[in-house]
Amino acid sequence: MNRVLNRTLMGIAATLLAASSALAHHSFAMFDQSKTVTLEGTVKDFRWSNPHVFIQLLVKIEGGSEEEWSIEMTSPEHLARVGWKPGTLKPGDKVTLNIHPMRDGIKGGQYLSGTGPDGPLIGSPQPSQGEGK
Amino acid sequence: MIWRRLAQASAILLGCLATLATLGAGSAGLPDWSGQWENVGATPDATGGFNQSLAQVLKGMQWSPPNKPEVQARVDQIVAMERKRLEAISRGEDPGGAVRACTFGYPSLMLESPLMFEVLPTPKETTLIFSSREIRHVYTDGRPHTPKDELWATPWGDSIGHWEGQTLVIDTIAVKSPFASSQSEGVAVLAFGDVEGEQTITILSPQAHFVERIRMLDKNHLEDQMTIIDPTNLTSPWHMSRTYQRVAHINRMVYEDCEGEERNPIVSGHFTLAPPPTSAAPMPIAPKNAPSAQSPPPQ
Repeated sequence: MNRVLNRTLMGIAATLLAASSALAHHSFAMFDQSKTVTLEGTVKDFRWSNPHVFIQLLVKIEGGSEEEWSIEMTSPEHLARVGWKPGTLKPGDKVTLNIHPMRDGIKGGQYLSGTGPDGPLIGSPQPSQGEGK
Repeated sequence: MIWRRLAQASAILLGCLATLATLGAGSAGLPDWSGQWENVGATPDATGGFNQSLAQVLKGMQWSPPNKPEVQARVDQIVAMERKRLEAISRGEDPGGAVRACTFGYPSLMLESPLMFEVLPTPKETTLIFSSREIRHVYTDGRPHTPKDELWATPWGDSIGHWEGQTLVIDTIAVKSPFASSQSEGVAVLAFGDVEGEQTITILSPQAHFVERIRMLDKNHLEDQMTIIDPTNLTSPWHMSRTYQRVAHINRMVYEDCEGEERNPIVSGHFTLAPPPTSAAPMPIAPKNAPSAQSPPPQ
């Protein structure tokens, strides 16, 4: 489902009618909604912060070096309600994340779903469900 | 002397008994709505999305505002503008809007917000506390609405109420949009879902009058039946309902913090990412209006 659309519209509404939303800190327009990128890497840091949480991910590239990606999630309040905790991800965890990448080429994106050391991350589709979100 | 002391002791005892009686009578019969509640259909997931489509949300709310023709025309115009801008944003041609506040205001708090909230019934007031740190005070001590010469519109309105058995009946007036930029439009009522996004449903006038009936459906669900009376913008009273469920994974109130830190500064007209410093380090304190420089992610 198009999660970005939601948040984008919330941003629009905030501008046109100034209807507010706890999520509408920005429009999320900087993420390319037409692209989904899968990143395999190691968690450098899980930054449980306001207004949004970030996963700092180290991804190995050709030649053996690593690049760091910043993956933006939703707010701690929303994540806690669906079962995430500040320690859900730990430095060193091997994860695979699906994201909408930044439009401008900066190594970052919007979190969509993922798989961690113990299987699908909270809220992500189970293997039998496919990646249909 | 002894009579004086006995009289004093009796007075103290009677005072204590009276207090206990008052507390007992006042608290008795009030429902226990403790815990955290969230809008069914506006429950967030890890991406910030929600678990129902707009169509499902609208159906669940029995949502069909009897807009006057001229109001519907304006709503259609706004929705068309919203869609047009959405398309521009999705193409990356428009940076979109930004709100650095958590304010939803009423009636959005009850109807479409993804916030969680607590309800605290007490004999003289029921308080609704939302994770945006917005609070609704519903006075149930028998008072009328605030007199006109002492009343001004706010994003949360002026609410009084009473109990009909286990149902809390709330009457709210003097509501305005929480945003100065939209106050000329009146109070926008929106709904949003996961597929179609957010949509303006109607615009209410500053004279809109709201009546709610909140009750517990079962141990895990509350219901708010809302009627909006707004002869300026609606052809008839508008009835709808909303259901709230218990929050599943947390048993305490946690607040949003929208204003404190900036993770998405605008650089060259576009939003970008500014991840927080490492979680092990203390958060830096910067002036709110300090220029925000985007540091590209480490390579």
